[in-house]
Amino acid sequence: MSGSRTAPGMLGAPTEIRPRVGRRWAGRGQLLVPYIFIAPNVLLFSAFSFLPLLYAVYISLHDWSLIGDAEWLGLHNYLRLGRDPLFWRALSNTLLYALATVPTSMALGLLLALALNRRLPGRSLLRSIYFMPVVVSAVATGTIAAWLFNDNYGVINTLLVHLGIGRIAWLSTPQWALPSLAIATLWVRLGFNMIVYLAALQSIPSLYYEAARIDGASALRQFRHITVPLLTPATFLLLILNIIHSFQVFDLIYVMTSGGPGFSTTMLVQYIFKSAFVTSEMGYASAMGVALYALILGFTIVQWRASRQAENVM
Amino acid sequence: MEARISNTAASSRRFGRRALLGAGVAGGVLGGSRRARTQTKTTITMAVWGAQAEEAAFNAAIAAYQALHPDIAIRLELSGNSTQVYQLVDTRLAGRQAPDIFRIQYQQVGRYAAARALADLGPHVDAAYLTDFAPAFRQAVTYKGRVFAIPHHTDTFALYYNRDMLQKIGVEAPASLAQSWSWQDFLLVARDLKQKAGAPFGFAMSWQNMAAYRWLPFLYQHGGQLLNAELTQPMLAGAAGVETIAWTQSWFKEGLVPPSTSIKSSEQPQNLFANGTIGMLLGGDWQIPFLEKTMTKFGWGVTYMPRDVAMASDLGGNCLAVTRDSKHPEVAADVLKFMASREAMRDFVSRAQFLPVRSSLMGEKLPYALRPEAMQVFVEQSATIPAHLVSTVTMPVFSKINNALGDQLDLAFTSGQDPAATAKAIDAQVQAVLGG
Repeated sequence: MSGSRTAPGMLGAPTEIRPRVGRRWAGRGQLLVPYIFIAPNVLLFSAFSFLPLLYAVYISLHDWSLIGDAEWLGLHNYLRLGRDPLFWRALSNTLLYALATVPTSMALGLLLALALNRRLPGRSLLRSIYFMPVVVSAVATGTIAAWLFNDNYGVINTLLVHLGIGRIAWLSTPQWALPSLAIATLWVRLGFNMIVYLAALQSIPSLYYEAARIDGASALRQFRHITVPLLTPATFLLLILNIIHSFQVFDLIYVMTSGGPGFSTTMLVQYIFKSAFVTSEMGYASAMGVALYALILGFTIVQWRASRQAENVM
Repeated sequence: MEARISNTAASSRRFGRRALLGAGVAGGVLGGSRRARTQTKTTITMAVWGAQAEEAAFNAAIAAYQALHPDIAIRLELSGNSTQVYQLVDTRLAGRQAPDIFRIQYQQVGRYAAARALADLGPHVDAAYLTDFAPAFRQAVTYKGRVFAIPHHTDTFALYYNRDMLQKIGVEAPASLAQSWSWQDFLLVARDLKQKAGAPFGFAMSWQNMAAYRWLPFLYQHGGQLLNAELTQPMLAGAAGVETIAWTQSWFKEGLVPPSTSIKSSEQPQNLFANGTIGMLLGGDWQIPFLEKTMTKFGWGVTYMPRDVAMASDLGGNCLAVTRDSKHPEVAADVLKFMASREAMRDFVSRAQFLPVRSSLMGEKLPYALRPEAMQVFVEQSATIPAHLVSTVTMPVFSKINNALGDQLDLAFTSGQDPAATAKAIDAQVQAVLGG
């Protein structure tokens, strides 16, 4: 290629065209680079998320037991959702669970991040301890939580008895089962929220705080007028992720209560699983899956728009 | 001469090389044929669940079969419980990659057979082979007149008791089926265990993780049944059904059982029995190896299920089936026939603490590895399984009925749902399942 290059003003038309072609190809090549980079992700996402999602929509229009032949039902499964009291119970349980866990785990995560952002002895160890449940399998954490909350020989009840409070039927009474799950969820999710907030806190320039201190701003005012606004992007990200997590919770509940007592901890994904693998109604389970997808999508769009508006205001 | 010698030497070297090459090719061919023979070895996959004793018993049966058939390899795929195996098999059936053989409860045969997920064993198993199996189990593996599984073993329920605690309250466990406790006597003992023997709770029932069908024996003991004789209509809302729900609900209301032992719970009641939290356990024979190993602080024994106007116990146990995806249904069926043969069955049930399903083994004293005297109680109790219960739980739609039963009974036990309302809700859901 170097031989074909011609100094400007020299004769030889072909030598002038070649670089144009080369530039054009180089330009196209540059255009292709991002697609090449995202191709593996797109392929994996299509294979393991998008195509299964389309297939779930297809299955939701059928009566299929997974092991037998499928029978076309049209929109019957979606109409059944509307008049199935257990679906609405599972939906309200899911919303209640999200309400109980999302704000609290975010607030506690922020408090922890603020505490562990300071110079403390054993800070790294404490951060690791709080983050540990995030990296451990949900089934393992669920099993540990089930042992902690066990009515008969759990650590928590043993402590309560020693304190003279008496036993609480954590997992076997409808009024205590959901709070027990919420506490276990806080334990699991706290570390993740803490790490995200910690990263966001460390990205705030210390300059702002120094200027505020010079102007005589108290610690509380600094937190309110510097920290909170600059943490907004992290807060929105966590809000979306925590709501999605709460809507999709399964393993922890499967291990701790299996959706009981009664239907007090039956969440949407529990009900989907039960319909798919216990009563072999794969079509109905898929219809619920599609409904859950639409719900999460709706929440995400609303939050995303709210976050855009908040950013514009800032 | 030198040249000739040289030529000869060269030729000799050439010969040597050719000979080596030839030997190599021959070796390759021979080796290849050996490899080819190895490659033609048929592999059969077998999905089962089970605790240590069951795994060991399956492995012993597999080793015995492979010793007789060196050209067949059986790969055991072990899961923790039956739910996991069904989930695995269902998913692989959907992908046309199901294992050749799987362990299946009698209650599930109808569901799989109706969905044409099982191989019809008719061409591989002649009628004479099945004559030795007890009629209830032959019935359980037959769907629309065709055989879809081979009975392998059974288990049933009896009553474990803490010997030390019973001595403390001065009560002796019934020594024969005829002397089994009435419902009233049973609850009196449970109350005494709680009040006088230091047990936090009187007893617990092993029906967790949605094994709601294990509630049915109490219904039959009280003279009721879930469905009519033709299995076409629910009939739980009658007096017997409502009273049985009320009686089992009273265990929870009165605090005789731990609240964590309802049907949807994942509590392991054998742990509670082993550590003295409960004084009695309504449980199955497969729990013996666990108790033998872990219940070291108390002595324990086994007696008969309580009874009311009738005696009844649970139909437990499993059969073995070949899936429709098996590439070698003949070989898989042959493995099944071997596993359910008289000798293999005797060995399996003795090792894993189950009961045989062959009539010729039922009267025989089997060499149980643990507590043969306790196993005798289970053997006698198994004679009380009602035929109508067998017909009910082996219906193809029974998994849906079981789900309705579990959901509603759990509401009655944990949320105090009225027994009449519970019976009515179950009947409505069963009616919907039956297509009424």
